[in-house]
Amino acid sequence: MNDSQTAAVKTVEQPPIGRASATDRDPNTSEDFSFWLAPGIIVNPFDIVEAEQYEDSHTYGLVLGLEHTTDAPSHLSNFISNDFGALVGEPNTLRQGTTVARASVLSNDADIYMPVPNERPVRFADEAGIHRALGIDEMREDRRVPAGLIEMSNGTRAVAYIDLAYVLGPEAAHVNISGISGLATKTSYAMFLIQSILQSSDASHIAVIILNVKHGDLLMIDRPVEGLLPEQHDLWDKLGLEPKPFENAHYLLPHGKDTLSTGMPNSFIVPDFRQVYAYALDNTYDKLDLLFSQVADPSGTVESMVGEITVGLEQRTKDWANVTDWDALLNSEPLVKDGRSQRVGDIHASSVGKFRRHLRRIVRTRQSGLFVHQLSRNTVNLSQEIAKIQGGHTYVVDIAKLTDEEQTLVFGDILRTVYALYAEEGSEENELPKKVIIFVDELNKYAPVREQGSSILEQVLDIAERGRSLGVILISAQQFMSAVHGRVTGNAATLVVGRSGSAELSAPAYRFLDTDVRANLTRLSKGELLLSHSIYRQPVKIIFPKPAFKQQG
Amino acid sequence: MPNPLSGLKPALEVLAQNVDILPATGQAVEDLLRPDQEEVEDTVLTKDDTRVDTLIERPNRELYVPTPSLPRTEQHVFRYFLDGSQRSYFLGTAVERERSSPIQLAQIGAAAVVRQNDGQVRKGLSDHRYLLLAARDQFSDQVWQALEGAFQAGERFRLENIAAEDEDQPELPTGSDLRSQAVTKAGWRMHEMEVELAQRIASEADEGDWLVIDGSVRYKALIRLKQTVGVAKSFSKAPRFQIGRGPRVQSLNIMQLLAALEAGHRTCAFSAQSGQVAFWYVRLREQGMVDYPLMGVIKVTLPNPSGEPVSSDLVDHLSRALVAERHVTPHGRDTRWHVHLYPIYLAEQVIKNGFLSQEVIRNAIHWPTIAGMTMRR
Repeated sequence: MNDSQTAAVKTVEQPPIGRASATDRDPNTSEDFSFWLAPGIIVNPFDIVEAEQYEDSHTYGLVLGLEHTTDAPSHLSNFISNDFGALVGEPNTLRQGTTVARASVLSNDADIYMPVPNERPVRFADEAGIHRALGIDEMREDRRVPAGLIEMSNGTRAVAYIDLAYVLGPEAAHVNISGISGLATKTSYAMFLIQSILQSSDASHIAVIILNVKHGDLLMIDRPVEGLLPEQHDLWDKLGLEPKPFENAHYLLPHGKDTLSTGMPNSFIVPDFRQVYAYALDNTYDKLDLLFSQVADPSGTVESMVGEITVGLEQRTKDWANVTDWDALLNSEPLVKDGRSQRVGDIHASSVGKFRRHLRRIVRTRQSGLFVHQLSRNTVNLSQEIAKIQGGHTYVVDIAKLTDEEQTLVFGDILRTVYALYAEEGSEENELPKKVIIFVDELNKYAPVREQGSSILEQVLDIAERGRSLGVILISAQQFMSAVHGRVTGNAATLVVGRSGSAELSAPAYRFLDTDVRANLTRLSKGELLLSHSIYRQPVKIIFPKPAFKQQG
Repeated sequence: MPNPLSGLKPALEVLAQNVDILPATGQAVEDLLRPDQEEVEDTVLTKDDTRVDTLIERPNRELYVPTPSLPRTEQHVFRYFLDGSQRSYFLGTAVERERSSPIQLAQIGAAAVVRQNDGQVRKGLSDHRYLLLAARDQFSDQVWQALEGAFQAGERFRLENIAAEDEDQPELPTGSDLRSQAVTKAGWRMHEMEVELAQRIASEADEGDWLVIDGSVRYKALIRLKQTVGVAKSFSKAPRFQIGRGPRVQSLNIMQLLAALEAGHRTCAFSAQSGQVAFWYVRLREQGMVDYPLMGVIKVTLPNPSGEPVSSDLVDHLSRALVAERHVTPHGRDTRWHVHLYPIYLAEQVIKNGFLSQEVIRNAIHWPTIAGMTMRR
């Protein structure tokens, strides 16, 4: 909505719903104010209201909490007033009581931050008011990305725009989404937001890489959904977006144990147009560190071993000349001779044996089929495919059926490849998309809260901290924000929180939220999210439409 | 925000310029009413009725009558509830030659609340004023006339002569202390406000909609009101009751009368003021639920200007509706909760919430500084 439309919306003044109230014990301040509600008025947390202020200005507030008070000084008084608990009929006179709402000051349209005076009328803000309250009115129109719809208790709806410069850079970047699985609809929201970004900007300069981590949820994103309900169409319309599937989608599916015999990749759903990726030793030896991200390595032995192997295979020295596949690495020189582990460099034979046991478990005994003898004509090197990314295209990499180690390898491989594309010298000469968006769920697997870093954590932190300037944007999700490294969430300019448990919300990661807001997060319905954006002065509650692409089930 | 008491400034200047002022220590000091003021008034007003032997109702002759609750949801009897309130502050003593007078400020107000069919109340008629009280005979004509000139007609600020005699004002045992008399005078003016509001309400009320006034309806102006009852929370303990005639006459003091009164019952209605008032007692609460057996009893007064017998059905009807008023109560907010009708409490709150606070009064009243001198003495 442009400014002239915004002004037109403002023409009808909302009726008052109550008046500001300041008392000696509960004064109004520059930060927040209270107001009582007229009888029959319904207000809920996260509604945005406006109070009349000095010089005909308006102070906007976000309702954080409500409380009902009466003139009864104690519950005992209420008991006694009910004829000593007689429970007979309705009182002759209803006890005087009022509902008082506490609102956090968002802004004032004349930059007057005097406390809201007592008795000033308070109204629901209209759409233009909501935009002024959040600072959206000052956002450049060509940078506005619809991130959801604010829906208030009186039925007023307003589009919650976020600033593209704070999503894709250069001002800030990254989006992180938290919430209970199933209720927080994290993946759906991420897909909606990506679609919104693509429709609100020049999509031809943006490449999107999506990791599918659950079933076949994201393996039909180029196919339109059937039977999208009218109310969902209304939501898309209100947001100014077109409900359409992703265009130019590419699917990269993992090689499985049966792929050789059936030709089918190891995926829940197999799209028609796909490529199958696999890892042979030849295209993996320089990423072995990623495979061992979840192995405790307090003495650095694994790291040294990976270093020896990488150097040996890179230089193809005499000792390593015959190591051409995983079996050779595991069972022949230089790691093994006559069936016994050998000393490699400064690494003791027993440590080499331990390394072999881990490697065997990962690439042989418990692998999903991802690790192959050699790449065939029908399989591709994932990093080489990622290196070919183009603006206006979306790449879905399926990792749903992979083991944890394999998922880490694939995600790390993608990050490392993209980072190298954009960070290394000469990258600007290539015809790279200006921005790359990478979406991954279950981020806590790759960037957990722990002091000791791993290769995958370092890779994620590189993107989180330097991706903004490079144009590499991470949209990540997880159940528990408290389980993710603080430097990742701390660098996300947009945080989205869905329904969460009270124990989780008491973690330090949520301190940026007001206590009342946190309490309300435990009650969010499915599809309701809390959106915190750099531009906004307080987080807002939003809803968003269901995806317009086909989903499993 | 302007000084809310700036209307008093000219009068204070008149006093400061013409008489010596002994200001109250510190600033304005609140004169607290005695808590049993209502009982004192009832005692004075019933001094001629200490021996009660006439039942004014017909046909009932029983001493006690059951009056089960008649809630609003069944029949909405009481619609209007009226109360008055005052707060007085001692500002200082004015001394002119050998004469002296206290200078007092009183906030007086009266308010009614109207109860709607759903049990919610809204504010009805209300009024409030500020009185500057001083004893006329302690000032020279020149000063008093100057004082009168400092007040504008129709303003909320008025000058009151503490010692002025009003035709209907009962003589309360306030003694010769002018400060106490000032409080009594302010109370009388407050009562006049109540009467004025009650007359307006009674004239506008629909048939069957009754008004409850806090206290007794024994003053002459109130006795003429229709569909009005007075409900007193505390009352004179002096009356003695003679029930029956001849050898079977039963003599009871009020303690005996009320001790045997059960919850949800009333006494028979007695005659007072030569039949122009009917009064009886209603027990709202079980004796075991309050601290003292005489707690939980209200005294109901009904104007009866004709002096004719009152219908027992009407007395029952009103008593039953009053029993229903025991729910809810201002318990915890007022020590008289057991006899305080909640809507009356709300009317009282309407008035008191319109009063300036003690802190505002203390800071808004400053004796003017006369050129070249502060307050003499």
